Amino acid sequence: MKNLIEKIHISLKWILIILLAVMVIDVSWQVFSRYVLQQSSSITEELATFLLIWVGLLGSAYAYREKAHLGIDLISNKLSSKGKSYSEITILAVVILVSFFVFVFGGLRLVYITFTLNQLSPAMQINMGLIYSVTPITGILIILYSLDFLGDTLKILNNNKE
Amino acid sequence: MNYEVIMLVLVFVILMFLNVPIAFCLLASAVVVLSLSTDFIPVTTAVAQQTTTGIDSFVLLAIPFFILSGLLMGRGGIANRLIEFAKSIVGWFPGGLAFVNVVGSMLFGSIAGSAAAAVSAIGGFMIPSMTKEGYSREFSTSLTITAATTGLLIPPSNILIVYSLASGGISIAALFLAGYIPGILVGLSLMSVATIVALKKGEKFGKSISFKRVLQTGARAFLSLLLVVIVIGGIIAGIFTATEAAAIAVVYSFILGVIVYREISIKEIPEILINTVTTTAIVMLLIGASMALSWVLSYLNIPQNLSAALLALSDNPFVILLIINLVLLFVGTFMDMTPAVLIFTPIFLPVAINLGIDPIHFGIIMVLNLCIGLATPPVGTLLFLGVSIGKTTVPKVIKPLLPMYIAMILALLIITFFPQLSLFLPSLITN
Repeated sequence: MKNLIEKIHISLKWILIILLAVMVIDVSWQVFSRYVLQQSSSITEELATFLLIWVGLLGSAYAYREKAHLGIDLISNKLSSKGKSYSEITILAVVILVSFFVFVFGGLRLVYITFTLNQLSPAMQINMGLIYSVTPITGILIILYSLDFLGDTLKILNNNKE
Repeated sequence: MNYEVIMLVLVFVILMFLNVPIAFCLLASAVVVLSLSTDFIPVTTAVAQQTTTGIDSFVLLAIPFFILSGLLMGRGGIANRLIEFAKSIVGWFPGGLAFVNVVGSMLFGSIAGSAAAAVSAIGGFMIPSMTKEGYSREFSTSLTITAATTGLLIPPSNILIVYSLASGGISIAALFLAGYIPGILVGLSLMSVATIVALKKGEKFGKSISFKRVLQTGARAFLSLLLVVIVIGGIIAGIFTATEAAAIAVVYSFILGVIVYREISIKEIPEILINTVTTTAIVMLLIGASMALSWVLSYLNIPQNLSAALLALSDNPFVILLIINLVLLFVGTFMDMTPAVLIFTPIFLPVAINLGIDPIHFGIIMVLNLCIGLATPPVGTLLFLGVSIGKTTVPKVIKPLLPMYIAMILALLIITFFPQLSLFLPSLITN
């Protein structure tokens, strides 16, 4: 299981690197084509914004595993190692609940509703449900990573008991 | 409305003190508060939608690009050239190296959009050289942290882009121009603190300024500083949008760092890209979550009610601005800048407009105010980054930081009560 999660994480890393690189090339191309080739297209702008949504949300899952999201450790710093494990479990529970209800459940409903309304993007004519599908995917990844963290914390708690 | 606000603050504060990541605190409070009066299932969908579409903006694209160009500049020998240039101009003053730190940060801020890049690029070089000259490690670190905030006022600036979005589309070009004088003023106020420290330490004037040296270092920094002309000049002249300018800054700093100065190898690029993704994603999730919470607030009419309550207190713009500043200083200590701007702009901006305060001026006040919060505990992004780069701890830097907070608050009061300092430069392009 640990191995699989690590593999997913590394693939996620390279997907994100590529998405960001495409984003830079896309917008640079937009400027170049407008000033040098004298033609502007609305596709580059739309593509860049969609890439931003994907990088922003998928990247959040990546940053979550890297423990890069901002928080304050005023209290948890002062706790005993056992207290720390319990506070860690509470944090993971909140993250899992929010990810499940907002990203996975709310996100899937959002995707479903957008597909039923057949809402298309103005320039590329892509179904917006496809773009929004990043929201539930992000939720699933964050829950997966949280469960992995939870396993680690429980292991530490058990070892301390012995 | 009252119990909803109380509930919101309660959920947010409890989760935050449990050390739940801030973005999740924002989302959880949004869901809980909206569920008090609406069905749970549509609430989850609405919050998911607001979070996702909150990031759906071409303007926000400038943020990852400015983060990436900042990282490229930090590694690619641009920062060092700016520091050398700053040294030739202000290095001969008493407190010269401290001045170099501040001016270097301001120069870096004039080509980079985020302050974190300035702390690592300038601090990584200046903190060791300042300690070698006999400044304390704590003072050098404190100065690096506070000086980096000038870059958030001096354009390009990611947070001014976020404010443009939160305020409903105030011109980024105008906001960028408005930031120059206030940014320089904060820099000068920090330099006065540095002068006092240097004189106490017994520093004297060094050899007087050498114009030959200024020209030499200036020539070496020329290609780096040319970015100011391209990026800011391009935006102000309306040649390209802030996002396009940011993409050009990426390409330019890539060419400079990899091909011209040859200080970045191609092998380092994936690592720089993934660091950009991480920083971008943290900001984007905060933006999405703050937009969701802000949407929930306006759905419940909370900003309107708070604005009305504030206006009932007084109709004197100075009094109201003072109150707003105090609230924001407090908020800034425990909330990161991006959510603070997105959540409090819809609450305070209508009040400010109602009292005849220019929205551009108000944006500068808000950003400068929240800059102070970046350097204060318990939540201070730059503070934590700074102490890790300066290899010291938060409790140790508080003492040298205190006079710098005071200097920044004085600068804030001056900027607040003299609108022309912010509005003069933008008025040149609108007339």
